[in-house]
Amino acid sequence: MEKDQNSSVKPVPVIELRHVDKHFGQLHVLKDINLQVKKGEVVVVIGPSGSGKSTLCRTMNRLEPIDSGEILIDGEVIPEEGRELARLRAKVGMVFQSFNLFAHKTILDNVTMGPVEVLRKSKKEARQEAMELLKRVGVDSQASKVPAQLSGGQQQRVAIARSLAMHPKAILFDEPTSALDPEMIGEVLEVMTRLASEGMTMVVVTHEMNFARRVAHRVLFMDGGSILEENTPEEFFTNPRTQRARDFLNSIQNH
Amino acid sequence: MSGKVMTAKDALYEPPGPRTKKKILIGTVLSLLSFAFLLALMIRRFYLTGQLDPKYWFFFGRLSTWRFIAKGLIGTVEAAFAAGAMAFAAGFAMMLGRIGKSRFLRFAATVLVDFTRGVPTLLFIYFFFLVVPQFGWKLSAFWKITLPVAISASGLVAEQLRSGVNAVPKGQREAALSIGMTDRQTFYRVIFPQAIRYVIPSLIAEMVIVFKDTTFAYVVNFPDLMQNAKVLISNYDALLSIYLVVAVIYILINYSLNRLSTKAEKLLSGKQKQGS
Repeated sequence: MEKDQNSSVKPVPVIELRHVDKHFGQLHVLKDINLQVKKGEVVVVIGPSGSGKSTLCRTMNRLEPIDSGEILIDGEVIPEEGRELARLRAKVGMVFQSFNLFAHKTILDNVTMGPVEVLRKSKKEARQEAMELLKRVGVDSQASKVPAQLSGGQQQRVAIARSLAMHPKAILFDEPTSALDPEMIGEVLEVMTRLASEGMTMVVVTHEMNFARRVAHRVLFMDGGSILEENTPEEFFTNPRTQRARDFLNSIQNH
Repeated sequence: MSGKVMTAKDALYEPPGPRTKKKILIGTVLSLLSFAFLLALMIRRFYLTGQLDPKYWFFFGRLSTWRFIAKGLIGTVEAAFAAGAMAFAAGFAMMLGRIGKSRFLRFAATVLVDFTRGVPTLLFIYFFFLVVPQFGWKLSAFWKITLPVAISASGLVAEQLRSGVNAVPKGQREAALSIGMTDRQTFYRVIFPQAIRYVIPSLIAEMVIVFKDTTFAYVVNFPDLMQNAKVLISNYDALLSIYLVVAVIYILINYSLNRLSTKAEKLLSGKQKQGS
């Protein structure tokens, strides 16, 4: 095996954004974003609402189109449409604020859908693996129910199992606990923490500062469509560099 | 979003208080009385004009009469189901055009939907009855009635299906795309199965219109219930009694369709509730 210097010194980032720009009409929601997420890294994105953090998360698997720039998954540029886009999307899981479990399918079928339809696995194999995943997130006893019968926290854990079933290189979390009651937030964060400790590459948009402090390897602070600060969590929470970040941290500590 | 489903009825309906209950009771009694009065009046008119004469009713005691009516009923049911199935297929295709990416197809589908919804069924029937044969295209009576009825219903079906597709929360689509499903898989595996559940009740209700439209079969001489009723009428010279019986049959069919639609609505909304 030939080991060229480039790849041994600098492994390909799992997710890379190059000069990404995006407008919503007049509003410039993402301004020249450059970002690399390395394998095994947990990147937490925080910022006030409207800062573009959720949009940033959603552009990473191109659920949101971009105006210019490039997004690379595993070193491959994501195209605008077509099979190739679907293939690259399958490599990156996504967990939504509103869970978005398939309402007409059972919990088990929610998890097997991707492996069966996209990875073309046999139903039997997919089911077996799905049950293991559901066990891992603690909802295996609910496998034959439909999503509406589960609590929000349970639904979100199923959503995590659903993305894990695709064996993704990374998982994007778009405010995964914002729609949950306080007592359910803990159970979801616990699953996420465990994933992080197992080495999963994660991008997490969240307002959970304690989670960011404990789990993140890197914190991105966004405001007005730009990444204003990139720092380790210790540095960011104790000694933020920008005034905007200081104001933001003060405002959330005050309530 | 678990818990009891809020239907429009729950949201708009306030349980009546004691005074309102009293008013409702008075209203019920009054309307029942006037209904009974009108019925008595009608029967009296029948009696006075001789419509209750046995010569208008005796043939209902014959098995052959009922067999003939049953034959017509089968014709009606066949035509209605054939037309319904074709309307669904055509409506589905038009809906795909309307929600698709191609500008031209969107335009074409919109024109078709508006055209089929806007033209009365009878005109379509005349087209297949009078115009099409002139081009040397021989159609049987069955197709002369089912094709126009299907075309006439297809635009409505297309719009109902589209409203169902639009009612599926957009998060469902995003979730499907995010696990790597193609647009096609997303539509057929996730969006449409949910959309059809939303609109099954209104599609069943739509069948009522299709059933009623098949009564135009007499125009093209297709032996449906209405056509056979006309034959009986000329045989026995008994207009009112036969139309009355036929009307009751149509009411029974359409009433059970409406019941089925309500049942389906309850069943489906109970099962699925809102997309989370």
